[in-house]
Amino acid sequence: MFGTSITWGDITFMMTGAGLTLAITFWAMLGGTLAGMVFGLIRAQSPWYVNYPMGALLDVLRSVPLLIQFILFNSFQSIAGLNMNPFVVGCVVLAAYTSAYCTEIVRGGIGAVPVTTRKAARSLGMSYWQDMRYIVLPLGTRVMLPSWIGLTLGVMKDTALVYAIGVIELLRSSQIIITRKPHEALVILAIAGLIYFLVSFPVSRLGAHLEKKWREND
Amino acid sequence: MFNINYTFHWNQAFRALPQMLEGALVTLQIAVLSMVIGIVIGVLLALAKDSRVAALRWFANIWIEVARNTPALFQVYMIYFGIPAVLQLVAGVFGVNFRALGINIFYLDSYWAVLVGIAFNNAGYLAETFRGGLRAVPPTQTRAARSLGFNAVDSFRLIVLPQMFRAVFHPMTNQMVWAILMTSVGIFVGLNIDLTGVTQELNARTFRTFEFFALAAAIYYVIAKIVTGGARLIAWRLFRY
Amino acid sequence: MKLPVMFGAAAMAASLIVTPVFADKLDDIIASGVLRCAVVLDFPPMGSRDDNNEPIGFDVDTCADLAAALGVDYEIVETPFPDRIPALVSGRADVGVASTSDTLERAKTIGFSIPYFAFNNVVLTRDDTGIESYEDLAGKNLGSVAGVFEAIALEEDHNEWDAGGSFRTFQSQADVFLALNQGQIDATVVTGTVAAATIESGNFSGFKIAGEAPYLVDYVSLIALRQEYGLLNYLNLFVHQQYRTGRYEELFEKWVGGGAQPPSLALNGIYY
Repeated sequence: MFGTSITWGDITFMMTGAGLTLAITFWAMLGGTLAGMVFGLIRAQSPWYVNYPMGALLDVLRSVPLLIQFILFNSFQSIAGLNMNPFVVGCVVLAAYTSAYCTEIVRGGIGAVPVTTRKAARSLGMSYWQDMRYIVLPLGTRVMLPSWIGLTLGVMKDTALVYAIGVIELLRSSQIIITRKPHEALVILAIAGLIYFLVSFPVSRLGAHLEKKWREND
Repeated sequence: MFNINYTFHWNQAFRALPQMLEGALVTLQIAVLSMVIGIVIGVLLALAKDSRVAALRWFANIWIEVARNTPALFQVYMIYFGIPAVLQLVAGVFGVNFRALGINIFYLDSYWAVLVGIAFNNAGYLAETFRGGLRAVPPTQTRAARSLGFNAVDSFRLIVLPQMFRAVFHPMTNQMVWAILMTSVGIFVGLNIDLTGVTQELNARTFRTFEFFALAAAIYYVIAKIVTGGARLIAWRLFRY
Repeated sequence: MKLPVMFGAAAMAASLIVTPVFADKLDDIIASGVLRCAVVLDFPPMGSRDDNNEPIGFDVDTCADLAAALGVDYEIVETPFPDRIPALVSGRADVGVASTSDTLERAKTIGFSIPYFAFNNVVLTRDDTGIESYEDLAGKNLGSVAGVFEAIALEEDHNEWDAGGSFRTFQSQADVFLALNQGQIDATVVTGTVAAATIESGNFSGFKIAGEAPYLVDYVSLIALRQEYGLLNYLNLFVHQQYRTGRYEELFEKWVGGGAQPPSLALNGIYY
């Protein structure tokens, strides 16, 4: 490649970074989705005095730059002496951030199931949880899954910001190599971009496909 | 409860408030400009993606997919450090020295790199939003306009576009908030005059990370709320009938 | 929801009981058997990475010496410049061996040892900018690392000149060099040793030193938490011993060399 001086060592170094990117994405999505489901359920059916404060609190996470959330929480946990390593800090902050978006997705999904359908289910003798399990979940998923896939991709890209708290993920590892081989900056950045793209693009296609398929079935 | 051996110096942070608010203005400026550029290009990309010319479709597709499938930080980094690298490569191959020729437009200052990067990102996301919005305007509207004597451009500009903007106003507001939040990645390409840049410099000088960034977070939150509130007001004025 | 909370509270209470009241950071390091040093790794020859992306440099060796003196292993925690103190305060690192300028502003937050190195600052630019001295920087596009000693000095002068151009700050030294290399900035002010090492490395063609910057000598210290007197005392003695035993000169020769004299760490006519 243009007689490049990039070695296999550099590529593996970047791949390790990419692995970390995926690991953070995984934990953030796991934590964020679970929390988001709980919060979403609560928000969808609680009285306003629970719903509003909760909404306002989660809204803060969506109104402050993620970069600043990373730096701020990192600084907070250090002051509080929690001794978390940067990887854990990254996962925790990103999970909280994810949960704020996931809450809205879940709330929207539940809201998308017509009330009449749910009333019908209940009058057929289904319990609340049966109604949730057999009516709301399958119908709501059609609305929720495409958004959730979009969220996953968003989170994957947002992991690039953990750069700021010293986690050597994909972008940071590329930057480290550029430090030593500045004349290869473009090639290295292009490889990093390609890795992001190759992970993100197929998943986003899948999301679009599901959305289209389900819309046609409606 | 916790082993806190840290005393907060809030006073130091509040003293820097005027400086930080100046930074917030720069942040807002970048966000607004990047939105304006993003909206214009976004509309063009939305049209290009559904155009009959294959080259236009390809161009729009590549732009949209790259903008949506790579991190914004990466895009800004690429524009700041990547484009000059392309030029160096070209210069190396053809033996041209762009700087010696006085061609400096590609050596973007941090401010412009962030602006261009975020506008690029906005355009990609907005294009998809606009395509959805265009689909929401029934084709009968265009036909009705044409039969009333509007030409193609006018019927798009005066009939279709306003209805589309109405359909996508809410996602556009979201994009505006994102644009504000995205400007914070400017610190990675040398931007030191926006809110995050100013905060980071104060932090590096004083090592008072928590105080300064907490204040910055509060300012970002207020800006975001003002923008969403303002948008709601505008929507109420524009779209009631 | 109740159970984890109780567990957490119990664990916290337990940790408070178990932690001996008077164990300080120095005890912790010795007990843990590992010294974790915050080092900046894009600041050659003080800290950088070799071909296998492993940390090397003056600061890395200094950390190794400190660990050997303490009788423990060492671990390098890479920190970009602005992240040095968060790394210390967060307990990710025990000591900062990271060319930290001992400003009074910072001493409000962090504890400094006596200086372990000193820098003179020089102007670093490209062949094609026509910059020959510090005075030529007026009106040019300049850049430096956010919040470091030379950045603060350069920004003050830039504002005073008020002759146009721009002043930008980056999160790492590497980004400054990259921006200089590619032309986003025309010059930077950087410590002489780093400038020499960067030109030496051959990574950036066309870099040159254009005279000294008329700043005070930039003394840099080891850093630890402000309240860790035991550790700070130890660091002072360590720096003194490095100098006294000739190890300082040896490391200078190894990483800077080139016939240069190691910078004096003492000032005439004043106590530290």
